[in-house]
Amino acid sequence: MTSQSLRRIPVWSLAKWGLALMIAAIALFPIWWMINVVFALPGEPVSINPRLWPTSIPAGIEKIHLIFTETDYLRAYGISLLYAAFTIAGVLLIGSLAAFEFALFEFPGRSLLFGIVMLSLMVPTAVTIIPTYLLTSQLGWLNTMRGLVVPGLASAFGLFMLVQFMRAIPKDMIEAARLDGASHIQIYRHVALPLCRNALVTLAILTFMQTWGNYMWPLIIGTKPEMYTVGQVVGLFNSPLSHQTVDMVMTANLLAAIPPLLFFLIFQRKIVEGIAMSGTKG
Amino acid sequence: MAFLDISSVSKAFGTLSVLDDVNLSIDRGEFVVFVGPSGCGKSTLLRMISGLETVSSGTISIEGEIVNEVEPALRGTAMVFQSYALYPHMTTFQNVSFGLRMAHRPREVIAKKVQQAAAILRLDKLLERKPAQLSGGQKQRVAIGRAIVREPRVFLFDEPLSNLDAELRVQMRAELMDLHKRLGTTMIYVTHDQVEAMTLADKMVVMNGGRVQQVGKPLEIYDDPDNRFVAGFVGSPKMNFLPAYAIDASSEGVRIGGIGGQAETVLPLFVPGLTGKVEFGLRPEHLSPLLGDAPQPEGGLLLEGKVKLVEELGAESFVHMDLVDGTRVTVRAGRDAAVTGGTFRASVDVRRALLFARDGQRVRGPSGSRK
Repeated sequence: MTSQSLRRIPVWSLAKWGLALMIAAIALFPIWWMINVVFALPGEPVSINPRLWPTSIPAGIEKIHLIFTETDYLRAYGISLLYAAFTIAGVLLIGSLAAFEFALFEFPGRSLLFGIVMLSLMVPTAVTIIPTYLLTSQLGWLNTMRGLVVPGLASAFGLFMLVQFMRAIPKDMIEAARLDGASHIQIYRHVALPLCRNALVTLAILTFMQTWGNYMWPLIIGTKPEMYTVGQVVGLFNSPLSHQTVDMVMTANLLAAIPPLLFFLIFQRKIVEGIAMSGTKG
Repeated sequence: MAFLDISSVSKAFGTLSVLDDVNLSIDRGEFVVFVGPSGCGKSTLLRMISGLETVSSGTISIEGEIVNEVEPALRGTAMVFQSYALYPHMTTFQNVSFGLRMAHRPREVIAKKVQQAAAILRLDKLLERKPAQLSGGQKQRVAIGRAIVREPRVFLFDEPLSNLDAELRVQMRAELMDLHKRLGTTMIYVTHDQVEAMTLADKMVVMNGGRVQQVGKPLEIYDDPDNRFVAGFVGSPKMNFLPAYAIDASSEGVRIGGIGGQAETVLPLFVPGLTGKVEFGLRPEHLSPLLGDAPQPEGGLLLEGKVKLVEELGAESFVHMDLVDGTRVTVRAGRDAAVTGGTFRASVDVRRALLFARDGQRVRGPSGSRK
């Protein structure tokens, strides 16, 4: 870069870059700090603040190995992944089927039904959690995967988002498919679903983030250690009587944070696209 | 019985009546154009034939079979939409073969039919492209291809050319006519553009306000309209309507006065008892400019007014003038007639003039047609 082209960079854009970097640093620093605590020799005082660089990679790997072999962390990982996968599959299937009907077809009571579903968005989870628990318990679903997954399958937010997307599908396209002899379910499968692929990907990611980070429901429904999710296990590490050192707790935290981080890094463009589109296309 | 029969068909959305007692019969292989201003019910009628819209009362039958309750896909109709309605995530091949694939037809049959349609529509090289990579005209051809592979009994076109630019529209019009000639299938075409209707139609159906106003060959309708609406809608520039009154009717014809405020003439029509307000209809080409001091033709009708606007189109020009009573009249003039402004005179070919009663209905002699 020549000195002339350097001079052309306006002050304003420099300031914007500066601000963006600052915000990024504030957001990233805790994660970086966590990594540094994990990748340090055991017994090194945590109080050296702030820790800027990892001091021992093998020590960190040793800690991760210890957590996976000496605790039930791996099983909790499996439970959490299954919980997320089933929930995503269910939310996408139920949400897209419902959105298909709500967005593209007229039926009696459509507005009223949709209004009721949207109303449920306004009700805080804390209000519904006890009735849901009682229902699940009466069904005998405590400490089961069903109990964990099923109550989260009907996502009002997911429905709302998909309806907004599907409303943008031109009516002509659905009618053309009907004239072409496509059945209702074929129109859903071959026309509506592919056309809202971006929305489905976005909803899948958001659902993953939500289920992976969900603490309250698994805590209530899964009382047996065999049904603990990652969130609960991390909670155990963090509890006051766990007798774990700070670096072990941090290792557990870091392991819990990796899947959503990876997910986000892989799909970040889709997430931004999806959220932006759900705003403008509706 | 006609190939496609529409009998006493009405359509209402709630309390709003869109179509009222439509009767129409269409022969096999005809190119029929429904034309009318927006909101006249032409698209609704087309959608009712396709099955996308239900029939409130009356019957639609194809080849003798009443299809009111038959599923759209089973009626043997195929529709081309104004928006083309191509699936953006599918290639041309997938778009064209969609219906066949949904019906689980064998792969070889699908490939063969798509190839045939692609050959007819010159889509061979575009089969792997998605709609976003196609031009407007190409998209239109893909949409037609999707209709062709279904081998329908009737093709339905819902304003298919209105999204194209003027030049492409003329070209596609010619292609459609050619397609009709080659396939020989019945085609029903909806448009609001009367030029499109005139050029394409074997049979033209002029609609307004949910009713069929007139059915006939384009030139018949142009020359011999049934009412003031049809006379005004068909033809560009539109027909001139001059307020007048019938003075008396004798065996010689009707004496009409107050044409454009003052002129008087006798129309060779035998309509005993006709008196009162009427309207005098004249197409711009039935008025001849009288330049300079050219004498008025013997026994003819002369209109005189002030030039307001001259449209020069190259081969011809149209002079818009205001008569004494303020009526605007358009006169077709040749290129030689250098009109700049001021007063303008035109002689009227009275034998070509049409007469409309106060309710807008055409006044004809007892034999029906004026000629």
